[in-house]
This record gives sequence, structure tokens and C-alpha cells, in this order.
Amino acid sequence: MAEKEATVYIIDVGSSMGEIHHDRTQSDLDWAMQYVWDKITAAVATDRKTLFMGVIGLRTDGTDHLDNLSADDGYQNITIFQPLTQTKMPEIRKLTEDLHPSRTNEGDAISAIVIAIEMITAHCKRLKYKRNITLVTNGTSGVYADDLDEIANKLKDDGIELVVLGVDFDDPEYGFKDEGKKGEKAKVEQSLRSLCDACDGVYGTMAQAISEMAVPRVKSVRPVPSFKGWLTLGDPDKYDSAMVIDVERYPRVMVAPAPRASQHVIKTGIDLDATQTGESATLEGEGTGSLGEGISAIKQARSYQVEDNEAPGGKRDVDKDDLAKGYEYGRTAVHIDESDMNIVKLETKARLDVIGFVAQEQFERHLGMSRSNVIIATRISEKAAMAISAFIHALFETSSYAIARLVPKDGKDPHLVALAPSIESDYECLLEVELPFNEDIRTYRFPPLDKIVTVSGKNVVQHRYLPNDELMKSMSDYVDAMDLSTLASKTEDGEQEYAALEDTYSPMIHRIKQLIAWRAVHDSEPAPPLPENLIRYSAPPKELVKAVERKLEDLVVAASVKKVPPKSKARKRARSPEKPLSGLDVSSLLSTTHPPRKISRENAIPEFKQLLRTAGGAADIHSACQQLGLVIASYVKHSLGNAGYERAIEALRVCREEAIELEEPGAYNAMLLELKRKLLDGELGEERREWWWRVRMNPVGVIDKKVSEFSEVEVEEGRKLMTLSGP
Amino acid sequence: MPGWTNDSEKRDGDEEEDEEVDDSGYKAVKDAVIFAIDVSPSMLKKPPNSSDRKADRDTAASAALKCAYQLMQQRIISHPHDMMGVLLFGTEESRFTETVDSGSASTLNYPHCYVLTDLDVPAAADVKKLKSLVEDEEEAEKFLKPSSEPVSMSTVLFCSNNLFTTKAANFASRRLFLVTDNDDPHLNDKALRASAAVRAKDLYDLGVVIELFPISRGDHTFDRTKFYDDIVYRPVSADPEAPAPIAGESRVSVSGDGITLLQSLLSNINSKAAPRRAQFTIPLELGPGLRIGVKGFTLIKRQEPVRSCYIWLSGEKPQIVTSSTTKIAEDTARAVDKSEIRKGFRFGGEVVSFTPEELAALKNFGDPIIRIIGFKSLDSLPFWAITRAPYFLYPTEEDFIGSTRVFSALHQKLARDKKFGLAWFIPIRNSHPRLAAIIAGEERLDEDGEQVMPPGLWAVPLPFADDIRQNPDTHLIRAPNKLIDLMRDVIRQLQLPGAKYDQKKYPNPSLQWFYKILQCLALDEDIPETPEDKTIPKYKQINKRAGDYVLEWGRELEIQYQGWMASQGYGQVKPPGKRIADRTAEKGPAKKIKAEDGGTTSSAMAKHFQKGTLASLTVATLKEFAAEKGIKVSGKKADIVAAVEEYFETKS
Repeated sequence: MAEKEATVYIIDVGSSMGEIHHDRTQSDLDWAMQYVWDKITAAVATDRKTLFMGVIGLRTDGTDHLDNLSADDGYQNITIFQPLTQTKMPEIRKLTEDLHPSRTNEGDAISAIVIAIEMITAHCKRLKYKRNITLVTNGTSGVYADDLDEIANKLKDDGIELVVLGVDFDDPEYGFKDEGKKGEKAKVEQSLRSLCDACDGVYGTMAQAISEMAVPRVKSVRPVPSFKGWLTLGDPDKYDSAMVIDVERYPRVMVAPAPRASQHVIKTGIDLDATQTGESATLEGEGTGSLGEGISAIKQARSYQVEDNEAPGGKRDVDKDDLAKGYEYGRTAVHIDESDMNIVKLETKARLDVIGFVAQEQFERHLGMSRSNVIIATRISEKAAMAISAFIHALFETSSYAIARLVPKDGKDPHLVALAPSIESDYECLLEVELPFNEDIRTYRFPPLDKIVTVSGKNVVQHRYLPNDELMKSMSDYVDAMDLSTLASKTEDGEQEYAALEDTYSPMIHRIKQLIAWRAVHDSEPAPPLPENLIRYSAPPKELVKAVERKLEDLVVAASVKKVPPKSKARKRARSPEKPLSGLDVSSLLSTTHPPRKISRENAIPEFKQLLRTAGGAADIHSACQQLGLVIASYVKHSLGNAGYERAIEALRVCREEAIELEEPGAYNAMLLELKRKLLDGELGEERREWWWRVRMNPVGVIDKKVSEFSEVEVEEGRKLMTLSGP
Repeated sequence: MPGWTNDSEKRDGDEEEDEEVDDSGYKAVKDAVIFAIDVSPSMLKKPPNSSDRKADRDTAASAALKCAYQLMQQRIISHPHDMMGVLLFGTEESRFTETVDSGSASTLNYPHCYVLTDLDVPAAADVKKLKSLVEDEEEAEKFLKPSSEPVSMSTVLFCSNNLFTTKAANFASRRLFLVTDNDDPHLNDKALRASAAVRAKDLYDLGVVIELFPISRGDHTFDRTKFYDDIVYRPVSADPEAPAPIAGESRVSVSGDGITLLQSLLSNINSKAAPRRAQFTIPLELGPGLRIGVKGFTLIKRQEPVRSCYIWLSGEKPQIVTSSTTKIAEDTARAVDKSEIRKGFRFGGEVVSFTPEELAALKNFGDPIIRIIGFKSLDSLPFWAITRAPYFLYPTEEDFIGSTRVFSALHQKLARDKKFGLAWFIPIRNSHPRLAAIIAGEERLDEDGEQVMPPGLWAVPLPFADDIRQNPDTHLIRAPNKLIDLMRDVIRQLQLPGAKYDQKKYPNPSLQWFYKILQCLALDEDIPETPEDKTIPKYKQINKRAGDYVLEWGRELEIQYQGWMASQGYGQVKPPGKRIADRTAEKGPAKKIKAEDGGTTSSAMAKHFQKGTLASLTVATLKEFAAEKGIKVSGKKADIVAAVEEYFETKS
């Protein structure tokens, strides 16, 4: 578990903090608060009960703090806004109200630090805590600098870290110097700096702190082993020649989840439907607890049904208590007693068992199908450490990977993994990824990319689908020129790779976190822009693009790629009727053998399509749709239970698609509404409302203006038309 | 064995949201296959007797039935919610499924078409029926009786049409597998030919794909142009210079060259077992202003056994229970309408909520794209840089004409120079953006020249800093060169065939066992005792080929380790593994090489025990030691100390 923490923020709210300095657009306070809010919301987001935070206002209009420190000893104009406590939304709301520039510039920062020390001492006593005081000020009022040594000693003795962040403070290390500073401020800075130096604290300028905020915070997770056991080569139970090394496996990569949205509803007061849930319903949902005013969480009520042709709707509710466990084998239910469930499990023993070795050269990297792990020797055996080192180096020197069978725990399913050596100056381990079994590969076939075998079986080397020499060359030049390694920056630790994985941040995670924090503090103000850091790698680096401009132009010319206009994509059908491989003109056959006249029940969709193909004008299209409507009505009317519903909906789908494509949405809409009328008039048989419900669940509704520009139906109108109670 | 379900089944909660793609609109993402087998005298002709063990024993019809049987079993595993039916045509008898539709004026009649199993999700009974036909020749003969008059192909096609439209009305994929050796069923009858072509067009208009599995017999080669080219449609057929469509035609199955007709047919059918479906179609941007079209496929995905389900036993026979959920408000338990639902994030004990528009804007990082931002050498891509199975990319001309040649040039360049493209990757709208490594994969063929791995690019989703875990601490003791050299000898002895990994050799043992047992339970058969597990290493071979080398390595390890201990100032340490010591005594000098403990911790522990200072250690240390030694501990520190003490007492 993470350590307990107690942090007190001292925030200067003196009236000078309300002024705007330099070319900033925000007041000193607002500017500095960006940093403070970032810290506070990050702590709130952890939801940790052991993160205590206190906030002291410095240079407040009034005085309100600890009873034992009297105001006339230089402790005036200091207010404790928040005692040390876990910060939640109510605290945030209170702080946003409290933290405003005051009308005074009186108040001593050192006194505030003393109060903060007292707060921490009172709260933490002698317990194990990480203690921190952060002072944010613009240093425009004097500090009482006489007892600095004593305070520094106290801070050190109590293990409290002091952080002083000053607005426009000079910081030669960061390279900031505020010219034309008043003598007073320089003196304050000097005092605070010497205090920090004396207690090994941190002293910095606000500009640096804010610029560092741009680097997203990465949550570090303590490594937890997912396997502890033997790495074997051979069977130690049977052969004395088997190798056994005690190893542990830890995740190397684990996709960090983005904050998840939860669902809720606005409370509606007393609701008469409250008693309407079925008895067999069980509740599922996330943790309970208040979500704030007027909001209620959503839970799932689950009910269970079995097919029953005699029941209305073809389904019957069953009680959960009557249910047993089992599996589906095809559509057959196979019941297995709870006590026998293990019968389908393969018996396995936890072990990492080497099957053999493969050449690194021949290893297909795209076969890796899981996140990666590391395998290290158990930490309590030096012999294992030496043994695995030999294994790692031997793999490396022979350019091999090991293929092994991994069972992480007794009884777990075995997986095959590849083990690769990793050797750094001070670290050695095996890297591991899972490999696919035979069943895990879909055998789709794709033609070769470097030659063409035609339909007629000819082998072609020059073709519009194959690159010519010019394209090959310009591609090669371009790829070489766009090499990111040319952008590696030189740092003290050697070369810094461009877009090293450690410098890339998940845009989604950090954007969501940023906006949650923003919304929590700023309520309905418009959201801040996307931080540059999150999308830095969404496009090629500008300097590189500029440098390769010519090469790209050459490539574009050689590639000669043409975008397909969107219209012709949609109207593909209208161009030429599809033909079989032989090119036989079936349409003309059709017109002689099966002249399209009437749409039959048995072959409705093809006949409908064929009818449309011979359609002369809008009237023909309307008539075809109308005819199909009759067939659909008959599907529904004669359906046993719901057996014919899907067929009816499929016909609607086809009709709708064609109507949109032929720019005659009205023909479909008229047909659909006629069906609705029939249903309401009982012409489709008893109890057909469920079918209409299915119609609404599928995207086969009225074609509105949003879907087709030729429609006369407004979106809202269309929505109403789809309800049975609607017009 | 290919394929797996792509159903909208609930996925594990810890996976990334919105990652799965469903580009099929509302259509059920399901596949329905009618397996139609020609039953004609030539299909039933026995192959000539041969003493060759590898020679054909099956008639073409029974080979086809075996394929259907195998396909059905396989689909239950890989596509548990997909449908399959078996249709025999050219039979003396006719049988059509009982109609679910009372509106048909005429009873449908398809002469010489015999629906052996209805088009449906297979039931245990269907599997059993096919099994009996496959295993029992007499049983098979009852069904496989060819009619005296020829069957009309238009009837076969229309029969399939009807099965599809009534049973699988809205399936995204509907396919008719036709197995026949007759390349010209209607010789000179123009009218029959024409009506077959018309019925084929109907199927095409319905979106049904006809997959032809032709069989050549003896010296007669199946000629598609005689009849079937009028029946089969493919998207690009107008241009004879066009490349064979991606979903290439099945080869003609023949027996000979050491493979039987059955094997040849099986291989052809396997390659079509799963309908191919692109996961996404998006632009690949090579540089500002240069985009080509690619389709992304999920070619690698872990296939899991079906989840257990609820079964209702109170009826006549066990029934599968379906469940449905309604959303209700937690406070009042009233049902909630979709339009009322707000989304928000828990923060500071409350919900910070956003309007749907705000949420959409929040998740929007631009249109789906693969935008290459530059290239790097493959060497610089660490082995661990992977978060999940990669997507396979293949060019499409749908949106950009010329995509294929540009893609090909890029593919060849990356493969030749061992480079990868670093790309900003948004596969689907609103999916989480990632960086991906675009690497070239080369085509891999098996011994028979069948494609095992297609040529194309792979998009490997890379981890962000947020996803990279810190390495656990280790105690690094670098092995001396001599020890490494000895291990090299071991590795050289144990190369896999061809020094490469071939997934075809390794079926998933737990998945196979699961379905084997399930099938036995469903068909009421005896349960086998031992599972087949090809992933278990070949211990005997390992011992034979590398045993001596490992032993030598083990002896060297002991020497080096003792040397290292001495250099660190520790005395001689006996390997404490008791069990191993016993065995060593029994079996002479050969010694199990066990690089297990015996290190400082263990010896230090022993010292603490002797001095009686175990209690001065932390609970964590004690627990770790206890776990290592298999000592059961629980309770307070004093209890743990006592347990460890007991361990040393019994040991000495």
C-alpha cells in the first residue's frame, strides 16, 4: 500500500496576486493556481483516503487559524481554508470560493509555514507519513526572516519537505530572471531561498513548475509476479538431465485503462413505477454510494427466459433458482453439475517448459499476440541468477529465441510463449510474448504483393497493381529520408531517440483526466485545448517534412494515386449490372425467361432488385416498393410466432437501401407507413406489435432528410412516425 | 483450424473500451453455410483397390461427407453461433425442411434435393447423424442413392435460396459450398442452363456467395468454363488482366501425389471455413498529401472456449437460457429509458458529468487513419514493444486508385531494409489513438505450397509510457563465459525444425480437450482418459540430444557458483534440495541440475535461526522465505517465526 501523505498548500492571496504581470493574460493567482489545482485534482483522482491535504490562505483579509498562535505575534492575515483531510468534490467547491485575491498585502509567509508545521505535527504525530509544505507566493510582502534557522531545523527534524514556488522568482538554473524587480521582492526571494537551502527543500520559479505540468503524470505500479516457478528444459520428474531454474514473471507492458464513464440518471422524485421490477430480477452494478445531488446510479436488472413456442412472444420467464450451469454445444444444451465443472478442464502443472529454440532471423514478429512480460531468476537464489544469466547470454550469442509452454498456475490453460534475451549494462532478463496456437490464426489467403497471378492463370510482372522501378526508387528514397533516427537529440546520457516509447503518452487517458479535473474545478467553463504533448506524435515532425519535401513530391508523381470520388462509389450499381465470371448477360436471359412482373413470396428480394433494374421511372419504383410491401405484410401475417420477422426486416432493409440509392425515399416511406397502418388495423394478425418493436430496433425506419437529401421527412417527424402512437 | 467468433459477446472488462470494430451495421455478424454435395454415380465410385497405405479409400461423396462432418465440428468450436446445413443433391429421394411459414400457397418441392441437416446452429443430433454416415457405410448408402434422372441445378440453387431466406434471413454472410465432380451438368440443354444462371443471379442478388469445390476424377480435369463460370460471381470479373480476387477460387481437388482426395478437399474447404471480413477500411498516409487505402484484418486472435451458460432443467429436455437486462435507477428501481442516461466520471466522491456532445468531442482525436510519422530501424524496436495482437493490413483500391502498387513498394522497401514505420493509429472512429509499428510480413507457404501466412503489413499497437511497467529488481550475477559456452551447445542441439515457430504444429490443448469432452457429453459417448497435448516438449528427445550437454553445464554451474560464493566471502554451501540429494544418491553421479536457492538468503536465514534472531527480520522477508520453502504460514509475525523455526528444526 502506498504511504500516507500529508500536504499543506500555503497560497498567497494578497491583493497583488490579483494583478497581471508581464505579458500573461491571467492574474498571478490564477496563473499559479493552474499548478496548485493540477496537484490537488491529481490527488483527488487517486481517491486515496490516506492522502491528506490542507490549504492555508496567506494575506487574507481576515485571520482564522490555530488558537495557540495569537494574531498579534505576526500571525495575522492568515486563514486555514482547509484542515488536513481527504479532498473530495465539496472541498474543491469550497476552495474555489475561498481562493480569491484579498484587499490586503499584509501577512507573513514564514508565519504561514509555522502554522503549516503545527498542522502537520498535530495531524501526523509520530506516524509514518510523507510530509510536505508547498508555498505559492509572488513575494511582494516582507517576510520576518529572523528565526529561519530554527524553522529550517524543525522542518528537517520532522522530515517535512518544503517546496517554495514563486511567481516571477529568479531561478538561474531554469534560466529565468525578472529584470526591474523591486528591492523588497528580491529580499523576500533571498530569504525563502536560504530557508529552502537550509532545510534541503525545493525552491523554484512558477514558470518552470507550469511548464513541467505539460509532461503527463505516469502512474507507476508496483511489480507483481504473475508466475513463480520453474523454467525447465527437459522433464525433471523423469530425467536427471533436466535443467531447472527458479524464475518469476512480471508484466513488462500492461495497457493502462482510461477513466471509465459511468452511467447515471437525473433523479425524478417519487416514481410510481418503482415497484415494477420482476421478482426474478437480480441487481448488478458498480459500487453504491452517493453520487452527488440529484443523480442516481444505473443498475442492471437481469431476467432469464427460455424458448417456449406456446408462450406469447415465444419466450417464457424462468426463475433464476431453477437454473443449472452448463455449456452450449452448437444449439444443444449440455448440463454439467457444478461439482463436475472441472471435467472440461485440462489438468496442468505450473511451469515454464522449454520446447525448443528458433532462429531470431526467422522469427515473425507479428506473431506476438499479447502484451509482454519479463522473466527473471528468483531473487533469493544467486545460483538461479547465474544460471539464467548463462541461458540469456547463450540465447543472445546464438541469435536464438526459446519457445516454451507456460502454465502460470496449477490448472491454468497452457500458452506458448517466445522468450527473447535482453541484456543491458546493469540488467538482464528474458522478454516474453504469447504466440498463437493453430486455432488462433485465421487462414485468409491474400495474393502476393510482388507479382500478379491473373484470373486466367498468367504470371504478370508489369501491372498497374505493381510498382514500377521509378515508384520503387522514389519510395526507397522517401523512406530513407524520413528516417526518424536523424532527429535523435544529443543529451548528457548519450543519444535521445525521437519518439522513444517512454516519451509517448496515451492521449485518451490524459485528455480525459485533464477534462475531468478541469470540469471539477471550473464547472461549465469551456474546456482547455488539447495539450501539445499528447498529440506530438500524431503527425510527422515538421522539420523532417520540410527536409523531404522534394522526395515526397517525386513519390507522389511516381505513385499517381487518384482518390475515388464518393459519388461514384455509392452509384456503383447503376453503372453496369454485375455478371458472373463468364460474363454471361443474365439480365437479358431474365427478361426472356422470367419477365419481371410480380414479386413472389418465395423469391422476393432478388425479384424486387430485378424489377428495379428494369424500372423506367419513379412510378415503377413506387410500384415495386408497394409490391414488396405486400410480401412483407404477408411474411408478418403468416409468421408462426416470430419466425418470419427477420425475413420481413431483411426485406425492409433491402428496400430502404435501394430507395436511398435510387433517390426515391418516398417510395420506401409510403410502403413502411402502409405496413404500420395495417398493423394498427389488425390486418397483420394478432399480437404483431413485437414485430414493430424490432423494426424500430433496426435501422430500417423512415428515411429522413438527414439520410437522404431527397426525403421530405424532417428528422423529428420521422422519429414520431416510427412510434405506434404517433401520426 | 481457422476462425473464431466475432459475435458481440461481452468482452472482459479490463480490455480497452471501444476497441472492437463492428463495421457490419445492424446485420447479424454471422455466417450461414449450406454444404451441398453432389450425389451421382461418379461421386459414389470407389477408388481402385491399392496396397498403398496412403491411397484413396473414400468415394468422392464420402470424402465430402467427412469434410462436412469435420467442418461442422470445427464450426461449433470456432463459430458457435453460426449456422450450417447439409444438402445432398441428385438423390433419388427428396426432402425439404418443414416450413415455418404457413403462408406458402404451394408446398415447396425440390425434386432430388435432400436436406440432410437443416440450416441452423448445429445441434448434437446433427453431429451425431453426420458421424453415423461417416462411420457406417451401410447407413450412408441409405442416403446416398443417386436418382435415375439428372437433377436440375436451378432446383438446387433455388432450394438453397429458400433455406437461406427462411432460416438465415439477415445474416451478414451466407455461403453455398458446392462439392461436385460434374463440370457440365446440363450438357446441351440450353433452357436448363439458362434457368440455373437465373437462379444463380437470384442468389447473387441476395448476397449469397457460391463457393465451388470442384473435384477432378482420373484423367478428367474439371473445367469451370463449361458451366460454373455462369453460376459463380466475383466482384471484379470484367477485366481478364485483373489479379485473381483476394478470395481466390478453390483449387480443384484431386487425389494423387501422396495426398488423398479427402486431404485435398479438406485443405480447400479449410481455407474457406471462415468468411473473410475486414475490421476496418481506412487511409494510410505516407506523408502529407499522399494517402492510399488499406483494409485491416484481425488474423490473429486467441480462441477461447465458450463461456458456461445457464441451463433450465425443469422442462422435457435441458434448454439454454437467454438473459436480458433492463437498466434501472438505483434509488427507485424504476426502469430507465435510454434517452435519460447521462454519462460521467466518478471523481472526488461524486460524478463529474458531460453531455453526450462533450463526451463525443472529448474522445475525438480525428478521423480513423494510419499516419506514418517516420521510419526507424527494426533493431530499435524492443522485443517487448507490443500491447496486443497486431492487425494485418492489405491494400484496397476502393477509395484510392493506385493503392496496391504504392503499398507493394512500401512493403518491399520495409522488408528489404528491415525498417518499420512509426504511425499514429486510429483504427475506428473514437477508438483510443495509439502509436503503431508498421512492419512488413512476408508470405509463408507450407510444404504443399499452400499459403500459411499472407504477405502484407502488420500494425503492431505499441505501448505508451503509461503502459510500460518498471522492471522488477534483480540480483544480477553475470554468468562466466565457460558457462555460457556450455549452454550454447545445449541450444544448438534443440533447434525446432527449420529453426522457426510453426503454429500449425500446435493445436491449443485446453481448447481441444474442452470441446472433446463437451462433444462426448453432448453425444452421450465415453469420455476419453488422456488428452492429446502437442505442446508438451518431447522430453525423451531432449534427454537424448541434449542430456549430456545439460549435465556438463550443470556441473560447471556448481563449480562456478561455488567459486562465486567463495569470492563473495561465503563458505561452502550444500545444495539444500533434499529430494534431489536423495535421488542423487540413488542414481549415482548424475545430478539433477537445479539452480535453486542455496544463496545468501537461505544461509543467512539459517544463521538467524542459529542465533535465534529470526524475529528481527521483516514479515515480508520471512514470508518470502516461507513461500520459497513451501512452509505454510499464516497469522501474526510470531506464528510465522515459529513456522520458520520449525522448518529448520525438522531439517537439521
